[in-house]
This record gives sequence, structure tokens and C-alpha cells, in this order.
Amino acid sequence: MPAFLDDFLFTYESLVHSLGVNGLLALSMYVVLAMGQLSLGQAAFMGIGAYTSALLTLNVGAPFPLVLVAVMITPALGALIIGAPTLRLSGVYLALATIGVGEMLRLLYINTPLFGGALGLSGIPRLAGIIWIYGCLAVGLIVFVFVARSRVGRAMEAMREDELAAGAIGVNLPRYKLGGLVVSAAIAGLAGALDAHVSSFISPAAYGFDAAVTILSFALLGGIGSPFGPVLGAIILTLLPEALRPLQDFRLVVNGLIIVLAVLFMPRGLLAWRMGRLAARPGGASR
Amino acid sequence: MLSQQLFNGLVVGATYAIFALGFTVMFGVLGVVNLTYGFYFSFGALIALWLTQALNLPVWASFLIAVLASGLVAALVDSLLLTRLRRARAPELASLMVTLGATLLLYSLSSSLIGVEIRRFPAAAINASAFDLLGLRVSMTQLLIVFAAFAMVGGLVYLIQYTRVGLAIRAMAERPDTIALMGVNAGALARLVSFVSGSLAGAAGVLIGLNYNAIQPFMGEQMMLKGFAVIILGGLGDARGALVAGLIVGMLETLTAGYVASSWKDAVGFALLVLTLWIRPAGLFGRATVKRA
Amino acid sequence: MNSRTLIAAALLPFAALWASAGSAQTPITIGAIEALSGPASGYGTAIRNGFDLALDEVNKAGGVNGAPLAIAYEDSGGKPDSAMNAARQLIGSKKVSLILGPTLSTEMFPVGPIANERNIPIVGTSTTANGITAIGPYVFRTSLPEADVVPVTLRAAKEKLGVKKVAVMYGADDAFTKSAYDVMKAALEKLGIETLTTETFGAKDTDFNAQLTKIKGLNPDAIVVSALAEAGSGILLAKKALGIPASVRVIGGNGLNSPKVPQVAGDAADGTLVGSPWFIDKPDDANKKFVAAYKAKYNQDPDQFAAQAYDTLFLVAGAIKAAGGADPRKIRDALAKATYSGVMGSFSFTDNRDPADTSGVVVIEMKGGKFQILK
Repeated sequence: MPAFLDDFLFTYESLVHSLGVNGLLALSMYVVLAMGQLSLGQAAFMGIGAYTSALLTLNVGAPFPLVLVAVMITPALGALIIGAPTLRLSGVYLALATIGVGEMLRLLYINTPLFGGALGLSGIPRLAGIIWIYGCLAVGLIVFVFVARSRVGRAMEAMREDELAAGAIGVNLPRYKLGGLVVSAAIAGLAGALDAHVSSFISPAAYGFDAAVTILSFALLGGIGSPFGPVLGAIILTLLPEALRPLQDFRLVVNGLIIVLAVLFMPRGLLAWRMGRLAARPGGASR
Repeated sequence: MLSQQLFNGLVVGATYAIFALGFTVMFGVLGVVNLTYGFYFSFGALIALWLTQALNLPVWASFLIAVLASGLVAALVDSLLLTRLRRARAPELASLMVTLGATLLLYSLSSSLIGVEIRRFPAAAINASAFDLLGLRVSMTQLLIVFAAFAMVGGLVYLIQYTRVGLAIRAMAERPDTIALMGVNAGALARLVSFVSGSLAGAAGVLIGLNYNAIQPFMGEQMMLKGFAVIILGGLGDARGALVAGLIVGMLETLTAGYVASSWKDAVGFALLVLTLWIRPAGLFGRATVKRA
Repeated sequence: MNSRTLIAAALLPFAALWASAGSAQTPITIGAIEALSGPASGYGTAIRNGFDLALDEVNKAGGVNGAPLAIAYEDSGGKPDSAMNAARQLIGSKKVSLILGPTLSTEMFPVGPIANERNIPIVGTSTTANGITAIGPYVFRTSLPEADVVPVTLRAAKEKLGVKKVAVMYGADDAFTKSAYDVMKAALEKLGIETLTTETFGAKDTDFNAQLTKIKGLNPDAIVVSALAEAGSGILLAKKALGIPASVRVIGGNGLNSPKVPQVAGDAADGTLVGSPWFIDKPDDANKKFVAAYKAKYNQDPDQFAAQAYDTLFLVAGAIKAAGGADPRKIRDALAKATYSGVMGSFSFTDNRDPADTSGVVVIEMKGGKFQILK
């Protein structure tokens, strides 16, 4: 490989990894938002995945594919415990419950020597890479495209547009909501594990409220009409701070301004078209 | 030692209460998780600090100006960002997102302008030295915060329960879409509510800044998480609830640090938040108005 | 390499375009990754000020090897992700042969391996956590790890002030204060000083009354505190307000050695004990000149982060001079052998690329808002 090309790839390797990981996180957010729910626990689920994977790799030496299965199960269990009682309530309450749980987990990492305290865990082998990350993202996108075209997808859209009506026509609301949260937690956990195994270092500070809000902003900027919207949002919001790096001190100001303008003038996100409609149109009879 | 710890808890609790007061009004009445709230808290403290330092104004004058200024900024942000979305009937999440972007913008703007190091009011501005009272160590600023917590809640309860404006505000909290039909100027009322809660945030910022001497642009952001716990425990939009919940959280935190382990102090608020949502989501004082799915 | 080749093929046209955009520059450029925005920007900005002040002097004296020295700054915002991208940018695109920074230990843990993989020396000036230099042979640090400083302070407290039993307070959620606490705990055990209680707080906390009320009830001889300047000032103020006598001193880690502490805590800071190779009123000529120049340029007092950065830039400039060019491997070897005498005293690296000389560490106490040597 020519040297300049190698340098080019080296320069953008972390960024390419973050794009994929953030894309997965945006997808995990999409699952919840697509049913009209709001979770601010995606960063916490990501953290559970990251810590589970790091401990399994560092202390147990488990094979990587097995680790990736485990990191989808642990956050999913967490989601079951948080979601079952709170999903009875309207969206904002789930959001607040997940904030509370996220902060308690952060305190757990800080105060438990097993998790390395504030210093976190370092020296995690770099087992994941572009193929793992983008492979998972591609699988996720394909599955969601099929789900969106299916009966489940139509039920989800109905819930988002009018929850009462959806319930009245026989959508099993609690089961869908809980199922969505569990799937979302599993994807976030996977993203956390992949991230831990490319950056080789994790610390509690990365899974706090700020991170949860950032993940939410991916999905809201992109729009939740289809699974591609959130991924697009993640790409833009991951590239933006890097592109604005020369602005130094005013980088975050511009970042904030762009979010404000994007939402004000495109309140349904950048990709506003809806998967369900598009899928239904050709046959006509499927509706 | 127990009595001192109980007093410590009372002060921390009053601190949480005065922070959460405006937040619960904004959240409960306007129905928006307005993340910019914490900024008005920082803004009030910074403005008052600047007035006392640069213009040599007495603390009470700086306080009043800072309270008005924070209220105006809150009303301005509301009309610039949220009115438009309200009119377009944009989804609830869009308003959350726009306040998120605004929060990022406001905090980073103020921190890149003045830096993030902590500042304090000049020591001469207020007599902050502690003295012995009934066997306790207390300071004027601590007593001021406790007094202010009760006074602010009292004033707000009066405004909401016993005035015509309060009636309109209650109507807005119940049925935001129909108050226009009753002849209420909904846009002006939303701005008024924003102004009131922004002023309360600014007042809290100045008082807490005076007591803890750690004024910096991000001070509001750090209070937000505790603020969430307090407003849920107290019940959304309920001023008395904010006071009682603030005191409960502050007291339990202090007792946890004093008698259990200081490392788990911060878990108290969040545990209460999660428990409330599981057991009694309407909060301590909430009526059964929680939207059930 | 498989996945890289794959992507490489796809990106070839863009890469060619991108490569032609860069061109060689006459000054020798080194990179610096600092937290210039966000909550940690106080440290990053002080460090940049220190570098820039030294850079002016280096270039006024003719630069290195006939070429001026330049620093390309990248803002990490204190975030590990951002710091990683910044390091890759500096190494892969700007082709720097040395990196200064990053500001925080939590940034160095992911950034160190990247620089090390590319054989680019990276010099942390403020990263004090354990295990930093163990990342690899290209990772250096010029800040004294707390393990070299804290035991000196505690021994002085024991021998000169007769401290026998202490209460400990530390910031548990911050890598800097947590690793300083680990060192304190070990040193207290080794010196046979009894620990009555260990209390924690958060780096952003402002209320310490609960912890200090408990400590007051235990009657310690001193309170050992691992905190940054912000929380440290709050602790000092609350300690005085709660009526804990001034004879119960606060013994701090490096975090309390900041002009911010007396500014915020006022006379409540008096009696605070800190060990450090540097303090603002350090009486030698090099330091007086530095403090005066810093005040003239930035209109504020320097702190230890600025002082550390100031010395580090001279050390690095010397190493580049000795290496005779911009070859990072030669700079690494020159750096490993480099010595320099600046405002922090004399400096050289150990075989593990940590500071070797700890003889400059003095125990200082706060009196009337100023640090002076403890007699």
C-alpha cells in the first residue's frame, strides 16, 4: 500500500470506527423512538456492554464472538428490569427513569474496584475492527428494513402516530414497547463492546448523561421515519465536530447552533420519508 | 453531630428546592423538558457576580437585576425557539431536541467567553462567616437559602392558586390546546411562565453562588440531574412538592454521607427517582394526571 | 490489515486528492493535543499558555537547527474520542514528529497506543495517573507522578507537625484525584499514620458539610485531601465554616497547588500543606523571570500546569536540536537522554520515561494567600 494512502487511513481510522459505532447507537435509539417512547439510557446500556465485554476479554479470555453474544444479553436484562414497571407511563417518564439508572450505574463503576473506578479499564485488546463494526451495522439496518415492511413495523408506526388508536385496533402495546426497549439495549450493548475493543480504553465518564443526550440527538436530527435517518444523523453529528476542529473554542457553539437550526426548520428530521408507506405502495393490497 | 447533620441536610435540601422550583413550573405547565433551564441558573449567578465586581453594586441590587435578566433570557429563548414549534404542533421530542442544541450553544458560548474556572463573590459583598447558634455552626447565607426556599415556594403557590394569571396557568397545564378558546393569549402566557421560571432559576443561582462560592458556567448543568429527581419525586408542576422533595433528597443524601458511606451519597436521589416512577409516578403531591399509556 | 486494504481501494481517489493538498513547510512543527474547550479547558488553556511563552523564547533565540519551531494545536475538549482523532490527524496528516499532551490521563490511555504504534514520541505534561508510561517506549511524561510527591509531604507532616491520625477525603470520579488517593493510602500505611475515615466526593460537588461534620466528630490531627482546585477550595471554606480548628491542617495533593485556591478560599486556605517541585513564589531567578513574563503576556498568574508546560517545551526543543532533525525515532532517543534545568529544577527521564529527579520536591504551606516553604 502506498505510504500516503496508509497515512490517510491511519488519520481517519478512529473516526471511521466512531461513525460505525455511533451508527449502531443511533439504530438502538431508533427502535425506542419508532414506537413513540423516549429512553435516555442508551449510554448506560452501551456502558453495560462495554464493561461486560472488557471484563470477559481481560479477565476470562473469552473468544470474541462469544463476548459479543454476552454483551447483547446483559443490557437486555437491564432493560427488562427498568422497562417493565415504567413503560406503563408516557414517554417522558421512561426517559427520566433511564437517567436515574444511568447515574446509579456510573456510581457503581466509580465505587467498585472490579470496574477500575474513575480510571476505567485500559489495555483492552483491539479485537474489533471495521469489518465487525460495519458488519453489525449492515445486519442491523437490513433487519430493520424488513421489520419496517412487516406487520410489526406497521404496528410500530401506528403506535408512533396514535398510541390510543393502535391499542384499540389490537396492537399489544406493553409487549411491543418492552420488546423494543430490550432490542434497543442489546444493540447499544453491542456498540459499547465494539467501541471498547477498538479504542482499547473505557471509563465511566463516557456513559453519562451527556452521552445519552448525544445519542438522542443522532436520531432526532436524522429523523425516525426510517432506520436510515438516525444513522445519517449519527454520521453528521460525528463528522461535524471534526470538521469544525479548526474553529477551536467555538466548535461546540457552532455544533449547538446547527442542531437548533436543523430542528427548527426540519422538525421531523433530515430524512422525513416513511419506510412503511414506501413499502406498502407497490402492492397496494398489503394495507 | 446529628443535629449539625440535620441542619446540613436542611441547607442542601433547600438548595435543591430552590433550583427545582422554576424547573418544575416550566416542565409542568409548558409540558416541555426544557434543558436550557440550568443555563438560566448559571446566567443569574454570573450576571450578579459581574455586577458586584465590575460595577460595585450592592449584592441585593445585583440580585434583583440578575433575576430580571435571567427571566428575560428565558422568555427570549422560549419565544425564539419553542413558540415556533408549538405553533407547528411539532412532536414533543423536537422541542426537547431544540433545547438540547440551545443548551450546548449557550454553555459553550459562555465558557469560551469567560472560561470555566470557578469564581466567587467578593468576600466583602456579604458576611458569609459562620457563627454558633443553638449549638450549630451556621452562616447567614445558609439561613438565607432556607428562608428563600420557603418564601419562594409561598410566593409561587400564591401566584398560581389565588390570582387570575395563576388560573390561566393552571388551565394551560391541564389543557394547553383549549385555553386559546377561552380568550387567553397562549403565546404571551407561555412567555410569562418562561419568564417566571427563568427568574426563579436566576434567583437560585445567585443564592447558591453566594453560599458555595463556586460560580462557573457549567454550575447549572451539574444541578440538572438532581433537579430531575426532585421534580419527579415532588410531582410535576407542583411547587410545594418541589420543596418537600428537595428537602427529602437533601436530608437523605446528607445522612447517607454522614452515617453510611459518602460514596453512595449521590445514588440516593436517583434511587428515589426510580422508586417514585415504579411506585407512585405522579410523585408525592401529584394528582392522577400522569398520562398513562 | 485486511479491512484496511479493502477500504483503501474504495477511498483511493479521495486519498490521492487529499495527499496532494498537503505540502512541506519550513518551520519544524510539533503537535499538541489539549482540552481547550469544555469543562477541562482551564488546564488545557494554562498548558497552551506555558507552551506559547516558551515557544516565543525558543524562536527568539533562533529556533532549532536554524528553523523556527511551531506548535499545531488540536482541541480535544477533554474527550477521549476527540483526542484520538486529533492524534491521528497530527500524525497522519500534519506529519508532526512529536506530540505534546493530551491534558487528561483518561485521554492519554487511548491516545498513547496510537502514537506508540506509529513510533511518534508523545509527552504528557499533566498526566499523573499510574500506568501512563507503561503504554509503550514512545510515551513520556514530564509531570511528577503523585507517587513521588505525596510521600514527601506526608513524611514532613508527620515529622515536623506530629501528625499521627488523619481523615482522608478524595474525589472518586476523577482519574487524577483517584490515582493521587491510591498513592496517599499507600504512603499513609507505610508511614504508620492512622486513617480514621475515608470520605469521597464528586469533582463537581460544592457541598462538603456532611463529610466534614463527620470528620470533625472524629478529631483528626489533619485532613488529607485529594482534590482539584475547585473542590479543594470548597472543602477549605466548609472546614473553616464548620469550626474545625486551623491547627487541623489540610494536606493536599498536587491539585491544591493552584493560585485558584487562595483566590476562592481566602484565609480559609491558610495552613494548607502541599508538596511540589514548583510554586509561584519559588525564589530562584528562572522562576521569577517566568512568572513576570507570564503575567506580562497573559495578565494572570501562572499555575503548575503552565510551569510544567513551559519547562517541557524547552526540554523538547533541546531534544529536537540534539536529534539533528525531525526523525521521530531520533527525537525519542534524544528525549530519553535529555536533561534540562528550568523553573521546576533539574530534569531528566528515568528508563521508564518518568521524571527521574525528585530532589526538587519541597513541602510548602499557605500563609496569607501565598505558598512558602514549610520550615
